[in-house]
Amino acid sequence: MSSESLVLGTSAALFAIGGAGALLHRHPVSMLMAIEIMLNAANLVIVLAARVYGSADAESAALVVLVLAAAEAVIGLALALALFRRRPAPDVDQAAELRG
Amino acid sequence: MDNLFVPLLIGCLVAIASAVGVILARRPVYAAAYLLLHSLSLAALYAILSAAMVAIGQVIIYSGAIVVLFLFVVTLLPTGGAELRPIGGRIAAACVGAGAVIVALAASLTIGAIPLAPATPGDMSVAAVGHSLFSTLLVAFELTAPLLLVAVVGAVVIWRRHEPRPRTVQPVKVSEPRRLVLHQ
Repeated sequence: MSSESLVLGTSAALFAIGGAGALLHRHPVSMLMAIEIMLNAANLVIVLAARVYGSADAESAALVVLVLAAAEAVIGLALALALFRRRPAPDVDQAAELRG
Repeated sequence: MDNLFVPLLIGCLVAIASAVGVILARRPVYAAAYLLLHSLSLAALYAILSAAMVAIGQVIIYSGAIVVLFLFVVTLLPTGGAELRPIGGRIAAACVGAGAVIVALAASLTIGAIPLAPATPGDMSVAAVGHSLFSTLLVAFELTAPLLLVAVVGAVVIWRRHEPRPRTVQPVKVSEPRRLVLHQ
């Protein structure tokens, strides 16, 4: 087993774990953490490809993905807090309607 | 690259174990602590893969900002972040989703849709990354600034939308006009 396939398999496993967590949890903050794991898995593949192909551009793209993850966390946590303000029970299934 | 196998294996094991901890933790506080360990192990993996700039960014942005933001939000939660137990349908959906992802990725790997090229030496220094960030990826890099600005403004708008209106302050009636007293 080469190092490349080890890291590739790890990132696939991390993506699957994150996806399972996002489906499993009913708490919005826990769901966001699982989505962060999925983003990290994708970033790990980008960094591995940057190493394998020797490209500095791919490493810069991984940095941009990091900033994107920060923006996503800010919006997601604001949505979670707005949800908690309306109903105290931490269940995303109950928030089934969109309203402005 | 195979002389890096053992450090990579350790980092991968820590990353997977902490990710499982994030998923299985009953309280979001513990999940945030596991997320911190997860992001630090990923930073170690990036450093082993000689991506120093991304490793530093991971520690500063991810461990320093995002995980701390998660901890702040967990402490702001009204019930202390206690979670309802997952229902059966969600457990089944999680198993099916994770299995589907694993099967799809394994199939694509065995078919060879993702070729593993031999490592080509390239300039991966911080200077090279900075050069590509300000030449090839300049537009994407500059667009992250309005992205963050929109995210911050959007978070404030979402938070303030359901805020109750401030009550109008009744003017206080003064019985007699105030006099200005000059002290000597």
